[in-house]
Amino acid sequence: MNNREVVIFSGAIVADAVRAYSRRSAKLLEKGKFRVFDQYGNQTEADGELTEGQKLFLKKREHEEA
Amino acid sequence: MKKRSLVWITGLIVLLSFQGHSQDKIAGKPKEVIILHVNDMHAKIDNLPKLAYLADSLRKTHPYVFLVSAGDNFTGNPVVDMVADKGYPMIDLMNRCGFTVSAFGNHEFDLGQENLNKRLQQAKFPFICCNFDATGTVLKQPKPYLVLEAGNKIHIAVLGIIELNDKGIPDTHPSKVTGIRFYNGITKAKEYSWLKKKYGILIGLTHLGIETDVKLADSMPEFDEIIGGHSHTLIEKPMMENGVMIVQDGSNLNYIGKTTFRIENGRVTARSDEVIPITALHKADSALVELCGKYNRNEEFSKIAGIAETSLKGYDELGSLMTDALTHQLKVDFAFQNRGGIRVFSLPEGPITIKDIYQLDPFGNLVVTFRMKAEEIKSLISYAYNLEKGIDLQVSGMNYRVTSDGQGHCLGVDLFDDSAKSLDPSREYTVAMNSYIAASYRFNHADPGTTGSVTTAEILISYLKEVKKVNYTGVKRAIQIVKP
Repeated sequence: MNNREVVIFSGAIVADAVRAYSRRSAKLLEKGKFRVFDQYGNQTEADGELTEGQKLFLKKREHEEA
Repeated sequence: MKKRSLVWITGLIVLLSFQGHSQDKIAGKPKEVIILHVNDMHAKIDNLPKLAYLADSLRKTHPYVFLVSAGDNFTGNPVVDMVADKGYPMIDLMNRCGFTVSAFGNHEFDLGQENLNKRLQQAKFPFICCNFDATGTVLKQPKPYLVLEAGNKIHIAVLGIIELNDKGIPDTHPSKVTGIRFYNGITKAKEYSWLKKKYGILIGLTHLGIETDVKLADSMPEFDEIIGGHSHTLIEKPMMENGVMIVQDGSNLNYIGKTTFRIENGRVTARSDEVIPITALHKADSALVELCGKYNRNEEFSKIAGIAETSLKGYDELGSLMTDALTHQLKVDFAFQNRGGIRVFSLPEGPITIKDIYQLDPFGNLVVTFRMKAEEIKSLISYAYNLEKGIDLQVSGMNYRVTSDGQGHCLGVDLFDDSAKSLDPSREYTVAMNSYIAASYRFNHADPGTTGSVTTAEILISYLKEVKKVNYTGVKRAIQIVKP
């Protein structure tokens, strides 16, 4: 997440990874102020399922780095 | 010589024109094929009437329209998942939408093999997957691929592939896939590269996640398109990887993908894809709207799960009920529930309905279990206390006491079993909690944890159905003392 390794339980979803990364970010994600993108620049929904080694990036709605 | 050359050229023209005519006869004029695609609908039925209307509208003007799902049709909506005939409404509606084919997603298996068989039988379209072998199990073996026909001998092969987690199975409870042998999706898919040669056009209908879809495209340029799922990725502009077009449409039927192939001589000569937000569609199939309404008004939710002998009030009593359900049903030593996840203030004396339980615990959190030592459990309680500046975690299987400094800081935690003895510091205990706590609370745990396939609400329902009556008056298992 944002180039920081997050170790999380098997079966976790994107929102879980964000919570493990930062509770503040998770709250902003829930409020719709943050969005999650994959390494290819596609938006990933918060309920998306994870694969090992997946790279995700949090961005503010204005596309500023979180 | 000149005359002979002229005859030869004329002959060649005639031959070519015949050949061209013959190819036209085989392949006809360039054809446009439309593939509407969705993924990870997760039982969100409310937008299916709009999808049906869109598909029907296109079918009226285009002869070759196919509707495909890249898996995870189920799990995510109690009106589909919690009915007696689990999953029935979803397949009923998919049938009426005219789905052509679906891939298997990991959540298809959540239904259990017996139920899944019923849904496969109910479906008027096939489910496909090339990388599992269900021989000898309850589950009927699916076909690995489906060949679509677009008239005049044009064929499109569609190959199904499912993701596997680090345990080598799809992300579902292991008990749901007992006996099924799973194989690496990319390795297995390569065995079907001949489909491209035989049929000319090959689509991967995958439930692998975007990162694995990219790897698949790198390994198999034979694919004309990969229609993916699992990672809930919204690919607004189709990705091109190794000559393969990769698409995916978020989740929960918020978007519909529309691929258009131009096909000449049995090959794709042009391809494009667009994502249609469901909010951009304003018309819906009226018969399906009515049917969705019927499914949404499900009587199942007014059914009684159990009886509260006395009213349950406050976090202590409600949290004790919720955590007792976990320890009892999962047969773990302890269970925890955070206060923020208790969403009603009380349950009145009398019947507790299914609807009451979904109001009490509406988040759809799954259960995560850990093997933990007493010190690790203390670190969890301590973190939660500091976070909320007070008792946060409700518990089952033990009692605990937090010593605080009066400023909301935890100074120490004492853990006691049901007979008031301190927990054995050398013993490893099994501990269950919801996926929210597991993910967002910082605590020491050597075991990374294992997630189950059922929600905490589902566990509470099954618990109440089993114990039938509950009484939690005055139950309080977590206390705090302030050090002077």
